[in-house]
Parts: sequence; structure tokens; C-alpha cells
Amino acid sequence: MFGTRRPFPVRRTLLILIALSGIGSALHLGLRPGNLRPDAGGLRVAATFFGAAVSPATSYEAAFVPEGTIPLLAKAGAATITTVIFAAAAASLSTLLGLILGFLASAAWWSDDPIGGVSIIRRLVQRTVRPAVFVTTRFVIALARSMHELLWAVLFLGAMGLTNLTAVMAIVIPYTGILAKICSEIIDEAPREAAHALRAAGASPLQVFFCGLLPRALPDLCAYAIYRFECALRSSAVMGFFGIPTLGYYIHASFSNTHYREVWTYLYALLALVALADNWSGGLRRRLIS
Amino acid sequence: MNDRDLQIHRLRRSRPRSLYLRMSIVSIVLLIILSWSSGWLVTDDPFTPRRRENLRRFLREIQPLPVRDGEIGFAPVCRWASDLVADPGLDAALATLSIATASIVLAAVGALILVWPAARTVASSRPFGVSASQPGRMIRIAWLVLVAATRGIAVFFRAVPEYVWAFLFLAMFGPRAWPAVLALAVHNAGILAKLGAEVVENVVPAVPAGLRSIGASRRQVVVAGILPTVLPRFLLFFAYRWETCVREATVLGLLGFSSLGYWILDARARDRYDDMILFMLIGAVLVLIGDYVSVAVRSILRRVA
Repeated sequence: MFGTRRPFPVRRTLLILIALSGIGSALHLGLRPGNLRPDAGGLRVAATFFGAAVSPATSYEAAFVPEGTIPLLAKAGAATITTVIFAAAAASLSTLLGLILGFLASAAWWSDDPIGGVSIIRRLVQRTVRPAVFVTTRFVIALARSMHELLWAVLFLGAMGLTNLTAVMAIVIPYTGILAKICSEIIDEAPREAAHALRAAGASPLQVFFCGLLPRALPDLCAYAIYRFECALRSSAVMGFFGIPTLGYYIHASFSNTHYREVWTYLYALLALVALADNWSGGLRRRLIS
Repeated sequence: MNDRDLQIHRLRRSRPRSLYLRMSIVSIVLLIILSWSSGWLVTDDPFTPRRRENLRRFLREIQPLPVRDGEIGFAPVCRWASDLVADPGLDAALATLSIATASIVLAAVGALILVWPAARTVASSRPFGVSASQPGRMIRIAWLVLVAATRGIAVFFRAVPEYVWAFLFLAMFGPRAWPAVLALAVHNAGILAKLGAEVVENVVPAVPAGLRSIGASRRQVVVAGILPTVLPRFLLFFAYRWETCVREATVLGLLGFSSLGYWILDARARDRYDDMILFMLIGAVLVLIGDYVSVAVRSILRRVA
């Protein structure tokens, strides 16, 4: 205490910076608490919306329902299944691509020192091709994950129109980027003892990677992939805004028609789905990472 | 089969196995097969002549207008880009960043209120298992109700997706910045409250219980015994959610707030795909900057914690 310099107060500085930036942003946006008082119409909307939460619709609210329309609950069920199919397709493809890119972007994949003679060609490859692939992969990953899936959807919409396939791709691209990033981090942070032992015993770099390193990283990788499936469920629901018949589509449509009780029906379907996935992925994670 | 193989075989047989994991693997495989074979994803030829024509037009129109017709020059492209960055670009980026920051700060304030009644160790008739007298039955029940109600609110906040909150607030307040900020704030307050309550419940109870046993009030225990321990974790979560908010704030512009998403849709409506791509790139840069700031803050915090 006496005579020693006090350490730089990191937390206090951070808290002050956060508070200041929050106030600054609010001023910049012109957020005034006074504007938060909704008018009578706004209050009515809120009251109806939350009132509808306790009585979700079991049949259509519209006065006129065309002949041959499938019942609301069947439609909600179909939309739920569509959401799941969509999410499973997106999550599986992005996991596959993410793993490949993640290997290429991990330092461990490139950091072997081949035992034995090093030829000139080999050294040349090490000096040029490796860093080039490493940097390119990292760049591709950064670009892919820095754009939200809805923005990719807008891009696809312009390029070739949004079909089911392009909507899946719009989710796959950013998810691949995120998975690849996390995957490379998990691999690089995995315990190294087994890999060192294998290398000392004379295993080839590939053997070291696949038998020494990967098994140690696998539980974390699986847990994360499942977590991304859970996220994919939400994303595939949101894709509904672009006309894909997932839950988001109907939520949006019913909200626009101010059929709030229908909104809640679809919303409860989405909540049940997400809660189920959350429970499942939690259970898996507990068993994988013990 | 020699001795060593037998031993390996025996070891393999005796490895821990879980029915839950096996069933999960089977259902994951089934789900993947179902999703790709349902004939639902590839409904028609993705490269019909019309679509190919569309793609060709798109690829032409994403080239910056000044150089679209075979002209090659660096200067006009630079002028086009800097004009767009200067006019709506920077403002929109700043608006996006402000929405993200304002909403996450608001969410943090909300979460700081929700965390304490949501943590079972704090919000109890016998906080940290220490109390001078045996609390009455009604008091015990009252505390349980408080915890359940707070947790219920937090679940509700985070379970309703942010875009649904945005729809609702948009209908309530009209097209201002408030609906976007509130939507992100409410959703993230629920998430932060959940993460925070978990951290508070996992605090080693020695210090708070000790404080409690020498007569500290519940509030004193929280301020002196818990807050200092959990603050670094709270800040970690804050940085992580802020990063997500930057991403979401861009997209909420698609609903009509003046963030980058708004200008992206606007450019699309004006049939200016070159402008659209530029705004998207600005958004990407913003997200990456947010990423790196958040990573830097988190690594500083880890060193302190």
C-alpha cells in the first residue's frame, strides 16, 4: 500500500467509458425519455398484444377465410416443421464447411515441423503456400461472418431471387464463418500432451493432427455445433420475412394484419421449439463436456 | 488376436457410453437426411434461363456506376465510394453503432436490476444459508414467488425474438429510434439477467456468508461481497452481447430505422446494387471493428480477473 503505485483501475475506467458511450449514443440518436410516453393508440396496441398472449388463436381471426384453407394449428405445425428442416439443412452444411475452413485457419494445422530431411521444394511450400492459404482462409472467414444472414438473403434476393435453396445458403455462409472461427480457436486451445507424445513417437503431421489433437477438441466442437443448430432455428424463423414459409413469415403476416392472437400461436410454437432445442443442447453439452 | 489387441478390445468395450448421446446422434443423422432428402430444398432448377439472366444483370450492376461500361479508372470509383461514405455512409454507421451501444447499456441497467431477485442465493429468506432466526413460512414463500416472477420476466424478455419486440414498439411509438433501441434492450436484458444470475449463484459462498454472519444486510452483502467478484464476468458478457447488438442493429434497419440496413434496402429499391454492396461492406467493417474491440476488452478483463 505504501510507496507502491496503485494499479491502473481497469474496471472503473471501463464502467465510466461504458456509461459515457451509452449517454453519448442516446444523445446522438435524440432519445428523449419524454418520447417514451405512447399515445392512446400505442397503449391500445400494447394492451391488445399482451392481452392476446393469454389467449392464442386456435382458428383464424379473419372474418372471411377462403374455402379450403388449412386450419391454423395445422399451418403452425407445418411452419414449425419447415423451420426445423431449414435449420437442420443450414446447420449441417455449415458445420461441414466450417470444420474444413476451421482446420485450414487453425495455427495447429500448419504448425507441424516435419521430422526428417527438408527439401528445397518443401521449404518453398512452407514459406509461400502456407501463409497464403492461412491468410486467405482467415479473410474469407472474416468476410463471411461479418454479414448478418438477413443481409446475405438480401444479396441473394438481388442475384438470383430467393428460393428455398438460396435462403439456406444465406444462413450457411455466415454460420460457416462463425463456426470456422470458433473451430480454429477450439483446436488451437485444445490440450497438446497427446499430440506431443505422438510426434515424439514419430507419427506424421497428419496423424498427429487427427489422432492427437482432434480427439481432444472434439467434445467442444460437437457442443458448439449443436449450439449453432439452436441458433439456426431462430435464423430460419427470421428468414420467413423474405417469404420462406417458416414461422417468421406467419408471425410477420399476422402482425401486419393486427391478428395478435394468431401472432401468439406462432410465437408459442417458436418458443416451444427453441426451448426444446435449448434443453436438448444443454443436455448434450453436459454429457459431452464433463 | 494377440494379447495387446485383446486388451485394447476390452478397454474399448468398457468405455463410458450414454444412451442419451446415442439417441441424439441417431436423431441428428435422421434430421439431416430428412432435411436434405425431403425434396423441399431444391424445388426447381436454380439456374433457369430467367435466373441466369437475372444473375448476369446483377453481376453487371454491382460494378460501381462510373466504371460500369467497360471504362477502367481508379479515380472515379474512389470518388463514387467516398461520396457515398461521406453522405449517408458514416452517419448510418454511427447511427448503427449508437443504437447498439445505447440498447446494450440500457439492457445492462435492466439486467442489473433483475439479477438480484433472480439469483436464488441472494433472494432467499436465508441468504447464503445464514440467518439469525428461523424465517416464517409466509416469508419463505414470498421470496420463492419473487424469484419465480423475476425469472419468468427474464425468460419472457429473451424468449420473444428481438424483431417481434421491434414490431410491437414500432406499432407503439412510431418510426423513431426508440423502438429499435428498446427491442434490442429488452431482449438482451433477458439474456444478460440469465447469464448474470448464473454467475451470482456460482459465487463461492464463503465471503457473502461470512459477511452475513457478522450482521451485514442483504444489500451490504451484495455490494461488498458479491459485486466485486462478479463484475469482471458481467463485463465479459456485456462485451459479448454488445458485439451481437452491432450485428442486429444493422439488420433492424431493414424495418425502417435509419441504420445501415435502411440504406441497404433503400439502395436496392433504387436499383443501385453497387451502392447496396458498398453499404453492406461498411456494415461488415463495422461488425469486424466491434469484434476486435470486444476481443480486446475481453482479453484485458481476463488479465485483470
